[in-house]
Amino acid sequence: MKLQQTKGYQVINDWLNAKGYRPFTFQEQTWQHIANGESGLVNAPTGFGKTFSVFLGALIQFINEHPGNYTTKGKNGMQLLWISPLRALAKDIGRAMQEVIAELGMSWQVGIRNGDTDMAERQRQKRNMPEVLIITPESLHLLLAQKGYPEVLEKLRIIAVDEWHELLGSKRGVQVELALTRIIHVQRRMLQPGQQPLRLWGISATIGNLDQAREVLLAPMQQKGIIVKADLDKKIHIESVLPDEIEKYPWAGHLGIKLAHKIVPIIEQSNTTLIFINTRGMSEMWYQTLLNIAPQLAGAIALHHGSIEQELRIWVEEALHTQKLKAVVCTASLDLGVDFRPVDTVIQVGSPKGVARFLQRAGRSGHQPGEISTIYFLPTHSLELVEAAALKQAIKEKLIESRDPMLLCFDVLTQFLCTLAVSEGFSPDEVYKEVKATYCFADMQEEEWREVLQHITTGGTALQQYDEYRKVEAYDGRYYIRNRRIAMRHRMHIGTIVSDAMLKVKFASGGFIGVIEEYFISRLSPGDTFTLAGRNLELIAIKDMTVLVKKSNATKSIVPSWNGGRMPLSANLGLMLRQTFNHALTKKAKEPELAALKPLFELQEQLSHIPKSNELLVEHIETKDGYHLFVYPFEGRLVHEAMGTLLAYRISRLTPITFSIAMNDYGFELLSDQPIPVDDTNVYEIFTPDNLLNDIHKSVNAVEMAKRKFRDISVIAGLVFQGYPGEHKKARHLQSSASLLFKVFAEYDPKNILIRQAFQEVLDQQMEEVRLRNALQRIQEGKIVITVPERLTPFCFPIKVDSLRENLSSEKLEDRVRRMQQQLEK
Amino acid sequence: MFLPVSHHIRNNTFWLSSERCIYWEQGEALIVSDLHIGKTGHFRKAGIAVPQAVLKHDLQRLFNHIQHYRPKELIIVGDLFHSRENLEMDLFIRWRNDLPGVQFTLVKGNHDILPESWYGNAGISTVSGIHTTGGLAFTHDPVDSVTTSSHYTFTGHLHPGVRISGMGRQTLSFPCYYFGEQYAVLPAFSQFTGLAHIEARPNDKLFAIVNQSVIAM
Repeated sequence: MKLQQTKGYQVINDWLNAKGYRPFTFQEQTWQHIANGESGLVNAPTGFGKTFSVFLGALIQFINEHPGNYTTKGKNGMQLLWISPLRALAKDIGRAMQEVIAELGMSWQVGIRNGDTDMAERQRQKRNMPEVLIITPESLHLLLAQKGYPEVLEKLRIIAVDEWHELLGSKRGVQVELALTRIIHVQRRMLQPGQQPLRLWGISATIGNLDQAREVLLAPMQQKGIIVKADLDKKIHIESVLPDEIEKYPWAGHLGIKLAHKIVPIIEQSNTTLIFINTRGMSEMWYQTLLNIAPQLAGAIALHHGSIEQELRIWVEEALHTQKLKAVVCTASLDLGVDFRPVDTVIQVGSPKGVARFLQRAGRSGHQPGEISTIYFLPTHSLELVEAAALKQAIKEKLIESRDPMLLCFDVLTQFLCTLAVSEGFSPDEVYKEVKATYCFADMQEEEWREVLQHITTGGTALQQYDEYRKVEAYDGRYYIRNRRIAMRHRMHIGTIVSDAMLKVKFASGGFIGVIEEYFISRLSPGDTFTLAGRNLELIAIKDMTVLVKKSNATKSIVPSWNGGRMPLSANLGLMLRQTFNHALTKKAKEPELAALKPLFELQEQLSHIPKSNELLVEHIETKDGYHLFVYPFEGRLVHEAMGTLLAYRISRLTPITFSIAMNDYGFELLSDQPIPVDDTNVYEIFTPDNLLNDIHKSVNAVEMAKRKFRDISVIAGLVFQGYPGEHKKARHLQSSASLLFKVFAEYDPKNILIRQAFQEVLDQQMEEVRLRNALQRIQEGKIVITVPERLTPFCFPIKVDSLRENLSSEKLEDRVRRMQQQLEK
Repeated sequence: MFLPVSHHIRNNTFWLSSERCIYWEQGEALIVSDLHIGKTGHFRKAGIAVPQAVLKHDLQRLFNHIQHYRPKELIIVGDLFHSRENLEMDLFIRWRNDLPGVQFTLVKGNHDILPESWYGNAGISTVSGIHTTGGLAFTHDPVDSVTTSSHYTFTGHLHPGVRISGMGRQTLSFPCYYFGEQYAVLPAFSQFTGLAHIEARPNDKLFAIVNQSVIAM
């Protein structure tokens, strides 16, 4: 079918022309593919009409099917299912769609379904399903947890998955995969003769593995599909905020406040500025600092992060649209979403950790095609300036990270099967085929499937005497959850985003401020002052899962440290960093960042060495804390944690020794109270990739790491109940922590499929095994340089001062405790 | 195997086991706390597949100690049971019937919510509040001990744990026994319990349970 000759195309094209627009090529291509009945992936950046590529395609198809009465034909049932990871975006997208429909004079309805949708609206949708439903992955699963969901899907023509690059690589992505395979198969079984088959379209920003992204999305369709690329080049201007005297800029730190005065003129010269800070806690401090040093900005700057009350966040977003704000201090909370047209400047404070994320943030400024995106990079410690130089190079070479899809997430599968069991029930044979059709579970063994089924039907083992396990039960070959209380609890816990228990923070006099992690507040006592949403607050009491506070005038306050948002440095950026050091001290170091860092590099070279890209630097340093071994692979925090653990284990085989391990994105440190026996005779053996898996499994940290992974797994699989933010409705006598469950499972059911998954996740994500192996291989093939500096070097300083710490020991636990006691008595 | 450590209070000898229970020599009694029997069953009934082997192992450990010390009395300082009745309690009653020579005394804890008649049928005598015998007192919550009794009091409830830190910023935590001037807190007997870290005051005694050893802190 030639698109341009169809009625649908003409209607849409006329409408666009009337508004003075012309469709982009990639939009027309997408419309043509949809008209041909194809599925695929649209690759386009935000702000270039990616929504309209698929949405208008759906309209064209509908008009073509009903050329005579497309305007009057209403109550068509769900035609387009729009899956979006961002709840905040739904309203804007819905509004845009509604406008088009109204202007075309069509009778379609647009509905929104997410956590904010109230009961009445849900009921209305149930009675009269709108033609377009915009939904989050969680709400999509909730839809599948409702009786009668197959009828809702009967007329469905197109499924769109927006921001697919965001979902891919997370358990939410797996959740989408499972929902898609169910919907596709259920719909296929209901397909009437002559009815158009379902199309599935993803929309994704540019990532390193677009082909794989398409493969994962379309796996349940059993189609290869098409990639439509927008190919709209965007110019980016990167500039570093340089300290006046590099010698006086701190060697360590993660705040960068010392350079705050330098961004005030940038803010003043710009229309609107977004200031990206890596964690919520630091964003609070930045906001305070900016208000202190630039009081003239009061009222014109705002704070935006995930723990701030939603209403306030919405207000900030609206104010951004309407150009009421000069600047917003924000976290990843503003990474995605609709464009704020007034934004013309972006400032990144601290490492963005990856090329893709940096580009994405840069792209938040200067949206219109042809405009230049401007981004300033503000280092939080001097060495971080190297990253700016590396980022520039990476962008020039278009070295953008991949998002690796997650595999065999049995926790998500467990939840999904229970979801199907609370509504229509499921036939195991049928669902097995559907699950196997996904990319995530393509390699699932039958035995593993049986274990998951067993877990939900008999609680792991065959039912024994004195056991009353009950969850999913079989009736006539179909599996159901019939117990109303269990079904209700399951519905409440659908989702894969696991956060710490959050408490509401309220003024004692009334008024909601935000939410805060339970673990942070539990360490404070009444009378303590902390900062939230840019306000100093004094803790009065904690009552019914609500933190009661009053305003405080104290000048000193504790800023909460949130656990989230700590991304490791990507492999791409690590590689660029190592290459940047190659010419750090040469004449080729033309970049202003490298020139500024010259004094620091000279000191590093004088005390120790600056590693070339084919070298690995190892530093032995003795201080009053003990014996340090610093190693700099530049592979990101996670790989360093694994490599440090591995090294510690291998060294401890030479002699009984206890280490604590610290790491950041550049390197890691082993610290011991006795000398560390690593020298030129054994260093290559210690870094060998041989026996890697074996040695990892023997290092005690794997258990600790698995325990942390189990935290999410146990919640997703429904073993631990966590209420909604601030609304703890804990079931009586059913409280337990993930770490306790892990202990019990690890000891009494170590082969449990969820425990195995925890260890697998440690290998895949925590240790990044593949990346670790590649790094070790690279180190073997290169040169290892060992130095013995007399004092701490510029390189080691950030690791020593602020980093995460782990322990590893080869001593017997009892001996270790006794020795620790002796040390304390000294 | 368990290698107990002895501890003396007011001319009484107590043997602290690495398996989280105390043998009181002069009283010929075994003292335990927080068994939470029925907890795995309670979870499983609610659709949470916790391995039931925890309960069986807990009962076996207790049985081993009773066989070893041959006490006349088993004093439970609260939370013998976790919640309402379930089938695991039937297993417990069968287990209890194999030990007719031992007197079971339960000082009720906040989790012991079964009807009074149930304990009688199970051969358990119960006390609410404080139980005194042989010059010692027993109660569930340490809060109740200090204010109301002049006897040295054995308590539970807290599931105490101790955190040890050493050089190189190492930290470890273990279940522990706590002996203060007025009262003691027992570790929770059940393996299906978490830890609450406690801070010792200058004259307090702490014993950490590290694998098969009891280590005085």
